[in-house]
Amino acid sequence: MPSSDTMTFGSAMPAVSVHRKRRSLAAHATAYALSAPALFLMGLLLIGPVLVVLMMSFTDYSLGNASFEWVGLANYAEMLEDDVFVKAIGNTLLYVGIVVPASVFLGLGTAMLIESLTFGRAFWRAVYFLPVMATLMAMAIVWEFMLNARFGMISQLLTLLGLPAKNWLQETSTALPMLMVIGIWQALGFNMVLFMAGLTSIPRDLYEALELDGGSSSWSRFWTVTWPLLSPVTLFVVVITAIRSFQVFDPVHVLTKGGPNNASMVLIYQLYQEGFDFFRSAYAAGLTVVFLVFIFAITWVKSRVMEKNVHY
Amino acid sequence: MRRLLKTAVAAATLMLAGANFAAAETTIEVQYPYSHLFKTTYEKIVADFEKANPDIKVKLRAPYESYEDASQTVLKEAITNRLPDVTFQGLNRQRILVEKGIAQPLDQFIAKETDFEKDGYHQAMLDLSTFNGKVHGLPFSVSLPVGYYNMDVLKKAGWDKPLPTSWDEVIEVCKAIKASGQTVDTMFWGWNITGNWFWQSLNWSRDNTMLDPTETKVNFGNDAGKWSMRTFAKLVKECDMPNNEWKEAMANFSAGKVGMFFWSTSALQKIADDSTGLYTLKTGPFPDVAEGGGLPAGGNAGLVLAKDPETAAASWKFLKFATSGQGAAYVAQTTGYMPPNKAANEVILKDFYAQNPNKFTAVKQLPLLRDWYAFPGENGLKITKVIEDSMQSIASRERVEEPDAVLKDMVEDTQKLLPKSGS
Repeated sequence: MPSSDTMTFGSAMPAVSVHRKRRSLAAHATAYALSAPALFLMGLLLIGPVLVVLMMSFTDYSLGNASFEWVGLANYAEMLEDDVFVKAIGNTLLYVGIVVPASVFLGLGTAMLIESLTFGRAFWRAVYFLPVMATLMAMAIVWEFMLNARFGMISQLLTLLGLPAKNWLQETSTALPMLMVIGIWQALGFNMVLFMAGLTSIPRDLYEALELDGGSSSWSRFWTVTWPLLSPVTLFVVVITAIRSFQVFDPVHVLTKGGPNNASMVLIYQLYQEGFDFFRSAYAAGLTVVFLVFIFAITWVKSRVMEKNVHY
Repeated sequence: MRRLLKTAVAAATLMLAGANFAAAETTIEVQYPYSHLFKTTYEKIVADFEKANPDIKVKLRAPYESYEDASQTVLKEAITNRLPDVTFQGLNRQRILVEKGIAQPLDQFIAKETDFEKDGYHQAMLDLSTFNGKVHGLPFSVSLPVGYYNMDVLKKAGWDKPLPTSWDEVIEVCKAIKASGQTVDTMFWGWNITGNWFWQSLNWSRDNTMLDPTETKVNFGNDAGKWSMRTFAKLVKECDMPNNEWKEAMANFSAGKVGMFFWSTSALQKIADDSTGLYTLKTGPFPDVAEGGGLPAGGNAGLVLAKDPETAAASWKFLKFATSGQGAAYVAQTTGYMPPNKAANEVILKDFYAQNPNKFTAVKQLPLLRDWYAFPGENGLKITKVIEDSMQSIASRERVEEPDAVLKDMVEDTQKLLPKSGS
């Protein structure tokens, strides 16, 4: 976990004497000199583009134009009036709100189930991890076939059971839920692997100690040992899944294009559509800024919570 | 060994010299969309052109994936100064390049041509690429909406009259198909082609324009617009049209699972190939085009982007070659599109159409050729999305009962995205 590094850094800095301070100043200079190339590249490749995007969001630039004008907050004002944007934000939050808890708890459950197996662990691990290994783009096409209303596996299965088959991705009521199912399916394997790593690092003797203290039901084992000790992993998993869910794009692009009628429109897809389909670069830049704000917010919450509430 | 090396070096030098010699002439770079449709066409045209013009070399860049990709790429290349000399763009994507000053007007070249009209360049064809009163491109391949019919399904439904000529007749056929108990969809109507092409078809068929002549006010809120939206809603409802994505709809029709399919003629080659041996395919004119009405052209046009006079002249030569005479004829022979060129259609391709009556349907409609209208301003492409969403709310049955209300919303949303008057 990245946090353990910061911990060691922190503890390696006791109160310093003047003598030491001078030395550390020299050390600082060397440190800055050594990290200069990295800092330079970071500025050029990360911070620079973000600043350019931020500036562009205050203009009326559209792709291919020779010039632009400053329009202040006009793009942001337009967002508030833009039904598609409102829908995209709502859908994105709903997507994150469902995919994150579902894939985290299912991932944890799967990890514990597989860990409890006496044999066949590697097999199940591989099975659940497959969706992570496969390109989501390609997998989206597989889903497209499975969900096809006429010859898709799912529709045929439903018809066999006497249930009505639907045109899942073409209907307003089912398009977004289907994307969520695919999102959960994809994130589950990844979360499972992380939880497994967390589970194996829980010392066995804690369970033994618990048994001596009289807690032997599997529930108390989970509640008093497993869950608290997994909390750093859980937080990490939640944050990573949340960020990845905010970024959902590939399945939307391949399967629904945000449709029907923007029913499955999400923030990143709208950004793509405005920027690359409609060539409204400035507006797309504004959407990017909104997206970045969300990501920064999650990251900030993560670092705050990480410092305070996670038990080690 | 040494000798071998020497010979090789000598050969290489000779080849380089040869290449140099050719490079001393003008080289033009050309880029076009949809390699799966046009690859053979362009290869044939370039080969013929280079034979006829040994002083010009044509370099084909890797084709654009789609019309969207084509305009996006050109817009990006305009910033980095890497534009090709000739680019082929979707007819409704020319305007954006003209508005941004990337496409060059061609009038100076046309003025120098002596037999331009005789070469088959008629007014309706040039109108497709005319913006601000100036010709900016030459249409290369055009398509028009037509009806595709699965004659086996129609026969089983007991339809022995001629192919439908009005939407009411189409609905009659739908009912006959349904009554015959066949397990097929009655019809699919291509509302989802680029989101607005069929909307323009219905409107053009009543000679109704998208905007008023000043291009500041939405025009399709009028009676003809209402007729168009109501017609669409009626077709969806009474024909029980499936809410399919277009690829699926086309695959279903090709496989013989749909009775009628209203679509662009450009798909003819593919549908004909896919349906061979399954059923008898026939094409018929787009129903219900009123007297004085027309149909929007799909397809693409070549634009000259080269600014250097010598390269521009060579580019013009190539563009003209590709859009007239044998160059144009290749379009009909190798694709489902037709060349808009009159001379090519009427003279060179006469026998070809006699043997391919299905391809002739669209040619017969050529006098109806109208603009594939591109909305003005920075939001032009976003407007097509507004129209697509509105049409979809009917196709998905959500608002199929209230076409007038859908139209009203669509008018309002479109109006908001138009450039304010005076700008």
